[in-house]
Amino acid sequence: MTTARRRRRQEALLPYLLMTPALVLLVGILYPFSLGLYYSFTSYWLQYPKRFRFVWFDNYISLFEETLFDRALQFTLGFTVVAVILQVGLGLAIALFLHSRIPGRAVLRALMLLPLMMPPVITALMWKIMMASTNAGILNYLLSFIGLGPVNWFGSPWGAIASVLIIDTWGNLPFVALILLGALQALPTEPYEAARVDGAGPMAMLRYITLPLLAPFIILACTFRAMDSLRIFDVIYATTMGGPNDATTNLHIMAYQFAFQWYQIGKGMAQAVVLLLLVVLVSYMLMRLWNQASERTRQ
Amino acid sequence: MRIPRRWISALLLTGIVATQVAPPAAAQESEALAYYRQAKINWRQAEGQSLTIGLNKHPFTESLLPLIPQFRALTGINVEYLILPEAEYFTKLAADLSQQRGEFSVIMTAPIRNWGYVIPDWILPLDGFLNDPKLTDRAWYNLEDFFPGLLASNRWSGKIGGGIGEGPLYSIPVLSETYILAYRKDLFDQYNIKVPTTLDEMAEAARQIKKNAGIPGITARGTPSVASIGTGFISGLKSYTDNQWGELDAQLKGNLHDPRSVKYTETWVNMVRESGPANWANVQWYDAMEAFTAGQAGMIADADFFAANYEDPAKSKVAGKVGYALLPAGPGGKTYASLSTWALGINKATKNKDAAWLFVQWATAQRTLLNATLGFRNYNPTRASVFNDPEVQKVMGSWGNGGYLKTVARNLETARVAWIPQPERVRLGDIWARSLHEIYFQRMSAADALKRADAEIDKVLKEADIRP
Repeated sequence: MTTARRRRRQEALLPYLLMTPALVLLVGILYPFSLGLYYSFTSYWLQYPKRFRFVWFDNYISLFEETLFDRALQFTLGFTVVAVILQVGLGLAIALFLHSRIPGRAVLRALMLLPLMMPPVITALMWKIMMASTNAGILNYLLSFIGLGPVNWFGSPWGAIASVLIIDTWGNLPFVALILLGALQALPTEPYEAARVDGAGPMAMLRYITLPLLAPFIILACTFRAMDSLRIFDVIYATTMGGPNDATTNLHIMAYQFAFQWYQIGKGMAQAVVLLLLVVLVSYMLMRLWNQASERTRQ
Repeated sequence: MRIPRRWISALLLTGIVATQVAPPAAAQESEALAYYRQAKINWRQAEGQSLTIGLNKHPFTESLLPLIPQFRALTGINVEYLILPEAEYFTKLAADLSQQRGEFSVIMTAPIRNWGYVIPDWILPLDGFLNDPKLTDRAWYNLEDFFPGLLASNRWSGKIGGGIGEGPLYSIPVLSETYILAYRKDLFDQYNIKVPTTLDEMAEAARQIKKNAGIPGITARGTPSVASIGTGFISGLKSYTDNQWGELDAQLKGNLHDPRSVKYTETWVNMVRESGPANWANVQWYDAMEAFTAGQAGMIADADFFAANYEDPAKSKVAGKVGYALLPAGPGGKTYASLSTWALGINKATKNKDAAWLFVQWATAQRTLLNATLGFRNYNPTRASVFNDPEVQKVMGSWGNGGYLKTVARNLETARVAWIPQPERVRLGDIWARSLHEIYFQRMSAADALKRADAEIDKVLKEADIRP
């Protein structure tokens, strides 16, 4: 074989070689996913291997008979809506604040990133200690100075919902603020100069220039947060385990309980697939909005 | 390089002193192993093999780990272990057992857990090992030394709805617990409160403590999980019904809606709502134990061996101030507490079965369990000889001015495994605990919540082919 032919052959192989890690990764993701999907159509129940059979959509249909399913679905959707509004709203406010000319801006930006560096489970456990139901918890102790509390954080349904929301918001707010701050810094300056010439005030500039230009980024942040909020697990698992009174049981916690606590793998996987479809549907809708907003901004 | 002479002298002197002062490690080890070598078996018959032990994070595990090097030295068997928190441990264990890969050779289990492992044929009966003279010196091992009730609870015939104490022995108990009432004797004396003997008196005592001392009158587990049912709650219920009631009826249908069960549940839940901690619905066993230890509750109805924690002056604010009593009795005047043991069993899929048995035999040998209790606080002992050892008696005898030992001994007279044997116990308990939350948060009456729980239990047991 001549050197030129050998080189040509090597060059032909190169793309496949470069793709190998991606292919391995794809198989690594696709295999468990396909297995889970397959199990969702079976009666797989760990303790009763002899009962294993293909049951078509039985697991999906039986979901509607589960007493827990209604509550789990309601909490999943309700939590997502509130968490996205809260986190994107506050994230936008923080981004606008850090974008303005304030002293110590660089330090504040660095400090803001701290929650992002902590694993969510650690964040949740830290808050769990701070949110002890009596004044032994630092949060209730601090609230007592302003005449509030003690709040029964994890021991009451609404307290538990609020706790999960606060912990999740604390951990993810910097991410939203960071996306929006980056976007703010990249916005063109001309529209602002023109508006200033026309005598527009700060509120008018925010409403008519900043927000429309930021819209694609806001929708992007909403998409990320919606996807994460729909399938939130770690914070709930480490703090309330879905209680009390199932108030913080979402579809993910429910799927975990069925699959890993009660070993009904078939049913657990069906619930996980429903959750996946929900995530895909919501992300698809938000991505369409994002496309429309991007188009508008370009025009 | 020239080494100064005085350095050499110092070095030699140090060596001489070291050999004179410290007893040779080999001699120490040999002395420790001599006890085991009295057994007429070849401990090194599986030399070179490897075992992985599955362990739950638990005081027993803490007491076992420091002793494992001794087993390695005795048998030449290599031992590795995986320790996980309880929920994760049982999930991992079920995954391993069901896949029949034999990753864990020896498992930490419990009689109530065995019911889920015997039906799919995942764990080995141990009688074959015990009766094989090549593997066990019965006279040396002295199985009869274990408290008969504890050993019996680890036997099961495989009959759903019964058969405890019959059929094969599936695991050997290493730690036992029954459930008693621990109360703040100082506060009870100070406010002239009577130690309760009925459920109503218990609720009243809780109320009095909260009113007078300003702390929760009682603390108890409250998370929506089987763990909140299986200790003080179920023991009290068994006693309240004079042991004439079970969570399933003869046809294996849910029996939580029985009027006696409804009345008991109503009183219990009202008691924890009125006089318990505000966060009862989120209280795990360690929260309850720690709250009582920190002086933040007047009573706790839970595992007897928590006393080791209450009475440890290094971490307890109530050491020496605690009284111990049986849980309130029913109309018949007797208490029927539940009983549980942690135990070691063998995975059927393990390749090194003999080595696994040698480990179980060593870990449950008299000397090992005595060392675990004396050296590392493995309470309560499961062997009579360990329980009655003068040193062990001295420690346990000091708790509650002797009240602890007396209460535990009386409790053991009537204590039995409270649950009805069937593999869906965890699921049933989770459903049951959820119904307590419905009642606690006043979303449903006790009668309705328990009736709904029964319907759910019936559905699950039918789906699992446990009942027709």
